[in-house]
Amino acid sequence: MSVSLLCIVILFPMLVGALIPVLPFSNRKQMELYLFAMVVLNSLLVWTLILLHPAESLTVAKFTGNLTITFRLDGMGMVFAGLVATLWPFATLYAFEYMTKESHEKVFFFFYTMTYGVTLGIALAENILTMYFFYELLTLVTVPLVMHTLTREAILASRKYLYYSLGGAAFAFIGMIFIILYGDTISFTYGGVLDLHKIGNRVDILLLIYVFSFMGFGVKAAICPFNSWLPQAGVAPTPVTALLHAVAVVKSGAFAILRLTYFSYGMEFLRGTWAQQVVLAITSFTIVYGCGRAIKETHLKRRLAYSTISNLSYILFGAALMSPAGLVGALSHLVFHAFMKITSFFCAGAIMHQTEKHYVHELDGLGYAMPKTFTIFTLSALALMGVPGLAGFISKWNLAYAGIESGLPLGYIGVGCLLVSALFTAIYMMTIVIRGFFPGEGFDKNQVASFQDPNWKMLLPLCFFTVFILYFGLFSSSFIGFLQSLI
Amino acid sequence: MEQYLGVLILVPMVGAFLSFIIGEKSEKIRDYFAIGMTALTFLLVIFTGHAFLKNGTDLVLEIKEFCGFGLHLKLDGFRFLYAAIASFAWLVSTAFSQEYFAHYGHKNRYYFFLLTTLSATLGIFLSADFFTLFLFFEIMSFTSYVWVAQDEKKESLRAAATYLTVAVLGGLVMLMGIFLLYHLAGTLYFDELVGLSQRYPGKELWIAGFCIFFGFGAKAGAFPLHIWLPKAHPVAPAPASALLSGILTKAGIYGVLLLTGYLFLGETTWGAFVLVLGIITMVLGAFLALCSIDLKRTLACSSVSQIGFILVAIGMSGLLGEENLLAVQGAMLHMVNHSLLKLVLFLAAGIVFMNLHQLDLNEIQGFGKHKPFLTMLFVFGALGLGGVPLFNGYISKTLIHESMVEYMELCQEGLLQPVFSFSVMKTMEWIFLCSGGLTVAYMTKLCVVLFVQDNNNAQKQQSFQNQNYIKPVSAIGLCISAILLPVLGAFPTQTMGKIAALGETFMGVEEVPDIAYFSLQNLKGSFISIAIGVVLYLLLVPTVLQKKTAEGKVYINPLPSYLDLENSFYRPLLLVVFPSIARVLCRFLDCLVDSLVVFLRHTIFRDSALPHELEEGTWLTDSVGKLLNAFQTGLFSGKKEKRQTIDYRHKLALMHRERIENQTIINRSLSYGLMLFCIGLMITVAYLLISLSRG
Repeated sequence: MSVSLLCIVILFPMLVGALIPVLPFSNRKQMELYLFAMVVLNSLLVWTLILLHPAESLTVAKFTGNLTITFRLDGMGMVFAGLVATLWPFATLYAFEYMTKESHEKVFFFFYTMTYGVTLGIALAENILTMYFFYELLTLVTVPLVMHTLTREAILASRKYLYYSLGGAAFAFIGMIFIILYGDTISFTYGGVLDLHKIGNRVDILLLIYVFSFMGFGVKAAICPFNSWLPQAGVAPTPVTALLHAVAVVKSGAFAILRLTYFSYGMEFLRGTWAQQVVLAITSFTIVYGCGRAIKETHLKRRLAYSTISNLSYILFGAALMSPAGLVGALSHLVFHAFMKITSFFCAGAIMHQTEKHYVHELDGLGYAMPKTFTIFTLSALALMGVPGLAGFISKWNLAYAGIESGLPLGYIGVGCLLVSALFTAIYMMTIVIRGFFPGEGFDKNQVASFQDPNWKMLLPLCFFTVFILYFGLFSSSFIGFLQSLI
Repeated sequence: MEQYLGVLILVPMVGAFLSFIIGEKSEKIRDYFAIGMTALTFLLVIFTGHAFLKNGTDLVLEIKEFCGFGLHLKLDGFRFLYAAIASFAWLVSTAFSQEYFAHYGHKNRYYFFLLTTLSATLGIFLSADFFTLFLFFEIMSFTSYVWVAQDEKKESLRAAATYLTVAVLGGLVMLMGIFLLYHLAGTLYFDELVGLSQRYPGKELWIAGFCIFFGFGAKAGAFPLHIWLPKAHPVAPAPASALLSGILTKAGIYGVLLLTGYLFLGETTWGAFVLVLGIITMVLGAFLALCSIDLKRTLACSSVSQIGFILVAIGMSGLLGEENLLAVQGAMLHMVNHSLLKLVLFLAAGIVFMNLHQLDLNEIQGFGKHKPFLTMLFVFGALGLGGVPLFNGYISKTLIHESMVEYMELCQEGLLQPVFSFSVMKTMEWIFLCSGGLTVAYMTKLCVVLFVQDNNNAQKQQSFQNQNYIKPVSAIGLCISAILLPVLGAFPTQTMGKIAALGETFMGVEEVPDIAYFSLQNLKGSFISIAIGVVLYLLLVPTVLQKKTAEGKVYINPLPSYLDLENSFYRPLLLVVFPSIARVLCRFLDCLVDSLVVFLRHTIFRDSALPHELEEGTWLTDSVGKLLNAFQTGLFSGKKEKRQTIDYRHKLALMHRERIENQTIINRSLSYGLMLFCIGLMITVAYLLISLSRG
């Protein structure tokens, strides 16, 4: 039974999504109720699966040889699936409220719910073929979401998203082929599957292919210079930007790279090679680049998108360190950043939804009109900066420690980049907070008197995330211990 | 008993939230509540310290796995001393705040952050490892930001931004140092880091040490990161300035002490580094203070200078190695003295600002006339800061001076390996004495402006007559703090000696001998300083620092504005130079992939006709046309005149098309059908005839 759950949790949201246009809902409330119940149900199933933790794998389809579509729940999959399952119901709740101002919500929720299943597919994939399959699928189901508003910018953005993603996937595909050719198996195995006898003297080719596929998967994780789709995709409705472009899609890219590095190529094979130097340099650069662009950006959501670019590279930096400590740092930042960024995005969405203000310089004094939203935003900003006592600090500490421990010159430089990025984060996040709470002398509070905090549907997810950020900031050792036990 | 350490930090934190909630209901109750909370904290510190003194063993509290790494708090003599001074300073400033903030907005916010900062500051002074220290250090930086930005004026926000940038930058560099240190030593406990530099002779430890020093130095206001002090203090509310200058900078000094007394114990190179930095900071601060014409800015620059004095003492303690008793005592006592002095002086400046809303020396000139209480406060502070005998500053400055003298003697006797040559050391001693002189000069300038001279504007002088310039609650706190200054100075053996004894375990000093504070030798140094000060005042103030105008003599700042390190170096560097380099790079990277897509779109993925398809005509007309075209060009290429060329491809294609069209017309016509029918008929008839004729 528990094994079949592996398949059910992936297919169930797709079915739920597919039924939305078919079922005869008499009003919006019914649809919301149906959707929310189903999403919660699926999340519960995922959590049941995690608790049962079946060791065996489930093969759904078999092609030639060892090419199969197979699912299995291992430690890393558990982390990602658990993360997605926790965030999705809250994001759905938030989306209900947000989408009241948008049209075509049935189409929206159709794809939105399907994405849930596809993302879980990536988390639960047992081998690189399955992961690649769902990875491509993810692009296809999310394109309509980016295009949702059907404005000129949205169509342009989705085209760009499509070009970038497919181009990246092509490179990832090359990597997959080489794993199939030179690996003992295509299953994910911690430590790698490459067969050194088969490789012989073709090590450099394989390293080149690794860099290719790192960049290929890295397109979704928005590494520089393949990042420009992400800020543009910000034209999508906020629940999409928050959940997909801060969590599901981009984290799938990072997750795929972690799989590729630690579970297919293996860190022993890669550590100390020029390939590691290359990816370390790229990720370190992206960390600073993303932050720097965020400072320059004045559009609130795009600024957060640049921040995402930077933070994703934290995870990839952890991946590029190719050490167990790096993996722990990367995984902890994968989880914590998801919470921090979804919180800040939801706050930004709440501000835009309530006030129709999109630019940072329009936010003067809003802290007094929307105190709850802005307080939570401040907290997420501090967490993103890595202020001690909040979740962001823990993951940054782990990453930086892994960087120092690696002993590589680029590791030290990377840690320096982390710190510079923390300073930049302070600048681009605190300017928003400061505008909100310190509008300057002579500010007329009546200007913002008409605005207020959003209703509970928007605030409840925010409060939950805040509690999470605080809790894991203060008592993280059990979680970090769990991550360490995975390895 | 150990739990009290946690309670000490929790009480103000909880109090902050409660005061915020209470403040929503009633401001008056909130004000008294906040005073009560700080008083409670102070009493708790005294109570815990008392118990500690009775037992004689250090209190240690470990909260495992909190914030990922666990908190480690410790109470020993020095920590107790500083916790007590911090909470006392907080109590006095909070009591003063009630009156000072009467006409301010956002008071709830102020009190909230006042109390949280107290909690963080206590956390710093009680910390027993670098992680705990860093944690509270960061919290303190962020919460104290709000103080500077309190009135939300343009220059306040600017100063606050500078403050935050320096604090965050310092914090991050320090974090880098802590990472390196942890990687090297595998522990962050102060007690386990003692003498680490001897165990790890490599470069990494020094890099780590400098990184950590950067963070602490930024907070303490050491050159060249002192820029935030002269900006932040004038705009911050006076009670906040008092704490910023009196206590928060000491948190930085606390860190420097840790580095010198623990990590780099007995490293003369380190001592020399701190000493040189201290000398620069000391002179620079004092010089800026003398030139400044803003009351609080003068005090802020004076803080920079006094921090320099403390750094000199710390540097000397590093240089002296085993014999560093005097220097260590000097450093600690000067910390304590400076905290108390700046508390009094900034609050006295607060009284001026509270009444006049001005800080410019030309505006406030003469305000203190006929105000004995204010005069007492300020003059006590000035005497203490100037190092006049019988006041507390004298004691610590004497100790620092003596440590320098001692070092020179020891070097001459060959007991110590000299780092600096004798003449350099002698120069430093004279710089020290001159800085003391500058201190006397700028404090004299302030006292003369406030209490001796009349305002240039007689009408204004009239308005200063009002005697109701302070309320009793504020006055009591201030009075107690001011009285402490001469008491400490007049009975050094009973007071200062005891205080120094409290700190001895912290810095690993064994025993404290009696010191003849008022010996002729020691008094001489002080008198030299005072004499230099008087001379400097008489020489500089009437000539360079004042200008004659129609209204009378006006104080001016003779320094040109481009010497401002922040505006002419840091800000352009960070806001113009770096961003423009980054902008070029970012532009390039942004275009890179997009232009690749466009490039591919125009080359490999171009919309073009299929290769076997021709635009017009058939392959026959095309190839024959091409042949004729080539023939044509070949034929005319030699000729000069341009002739009308004919595109044969096109011509043949047209002919071909015409032919096809004609054919279609013919094919579809009735006559063509009839013709075919006739041909068929004729063939049939012919066949029949042939077959018949054969029989």
